[in-house]
Amino acid sequence: MAASESSARISGWRQFKAILHKDIVMELRTKEMLTSMGLYALLVLVVYYIALSQAGQNFQVRQIAAGLLWLVFIFTSLLGLNRSLVHEKDQGCLDALLISPIDRPVIFFGKAVGNLIFLVIVEVFIVPLFYFIFLGGQSQAETGGPIWMITLALLVGSLGIAGVGTLLATMSVNTNGKDFILAVLFIPIMFPLLLTVVAATSAVLLADPGYATVFWKMMAAASGYDAIMLLAAYGLYEFVLGA
Amino acid sequence: MADTLTTDCALEVRDLSRTFGAHKALDKVTFDLPRGAFLSIFGPNGAGKSTLLKVLSTLTTPSKGTARVLGLDVVAESVALREQIGFISHNPLLYPDLSAEENLEFFAEIYCLENPKERIRELLVAVELDHRRLDLVRTFSRGMLQRLSIARALLHSPQIIFLDEPYSGLDPHAMDILDSLIAQIRAQHTFVMVSHDLAKGLELCSHALILAKGAVVLFDERDNIDADEFAATYRATVGMGVS
Repeated sequence: MAASESSARISGWRQFKAILHKDIVMELRTKEMLTSMGLYALLVLVVYYIALSQAGQNFQVRQIAAGLLWLVFIFTSLLGLNRSLVHEKDQGCLDALLISPIDRPVIFFGKAVGNLIFLVIVEVFIVPLFYFIFLGGQSQAETGGPIWMITLALLVGSLGIAGVGTLLATMSVNTNGKDFILAVLFIPIMFPLLLTVVAATSAVLLADPGYATVFWKMMAAASGYDAIMLLAAYGLYEFVLGA
Repeated sequence: MADTLTTDCALEVRDLSRTFGAHKALDKVTFDLPRGAFLSIFGPNGAGKSTLLKVLSTLTTPSKGTARVLGLDVVAESVALREQIGFISHNPLLYPDLSAEENLEFFAEIYCLENPKERIRELLVAVELDHRRLDLVRTFSRGMLQRLSIARALLHSPQIIFLDEPYSGLDPHAMDILDSLIAQIRAQHTFVMVSHDLAKGLELCSHALILAKGAVVLFDERDNIDADEFAATYRATVGMGVS
């Protein structure tokens, strides 16, 4: 078959779906990522509970709730991101992908969307639990802004975590101290995103006058960060895989 | 783009060098291999055999020089070339948490094959794994993994097959099955095999190449090679140390 003829049948969309489907099937079978991420998140909530129970009755958890919530997801996502690439390195599966006719960004998007889905699943369980434990029992007036605003902030933040995290996990997977390297790279690079999504989430939780303006400003900044970093990751992924 | 049907050469390697920092893994390697040939590559550990295979299979790029496989440049036409490459390693390149059939279905999607079910069934029968098609790959023995790895490599009907120590760790029965599979497809494919086993490599090959310190020590057709002299040359290269 001539190379040009066979190249015509290659579909990036089909390859993307194959990688995503494979990752979901493997995760549903092993539950490695979801179990470790979920348990870790629960343990962090327990530690928060112990720490905050000593803070005194006048302490307003709501003031710092957004930061606490994002701290759970940052550390939880580090666990998942490492595991998602280790699957590919085991048995040389990444090499099998690299010698197939697949554009490297398709691998990136397949892995990143998989990581996003797993992170969102953990968030779906942890956010209500967080509300119940730390923000429960407060009056209607104290419950903050609408839930959809919190959901939007979580989605925009998670998109950035999954995208940038997948790129950094790919960079670190070949190194000896991959867990350490990923954390060292991840937190500083994610700093601008964390700052904006924590501010946006905090604005909604506190619901001070004019909170919507602050929320949308922060969401615009976070979305801009996501767009720039995802484009950079798209462009750099081939280089990172080849390094 | 060059058409893969227009050249009689399977491999055209010219002054190919690959360095890793100050380390020269390949040093001006030059040779031609006709289509349908079986090339066995020998050399001591660190001679550059696996690096040469990685360059030819587009897993890494050359630092200097050129390599064309089936008329396609390994750098400029790598995506088109990857459709024509099958790769069998001592590492199975399979996902342990997917079944045999799911692994082949995944790679069929990555290669965007049309109606792959029939092809998958045909290959599973050929490698005598049809009865284990629904079993997870992590339950397979080394020999079964290697047979499934062969099915994966042949799934997309590649024109050239790279073998990196394919007999490594196989029991005699599994070696017999691998021999038989290679014999079945020998006429329709070009093979490039890296091996430490002189007897096996010379038994299979139509051409032989010895590498030492990243450079070609000997390259000739099998018919022109005296096995004893070849073995003496090979033993001498082992004493030359690594590249």
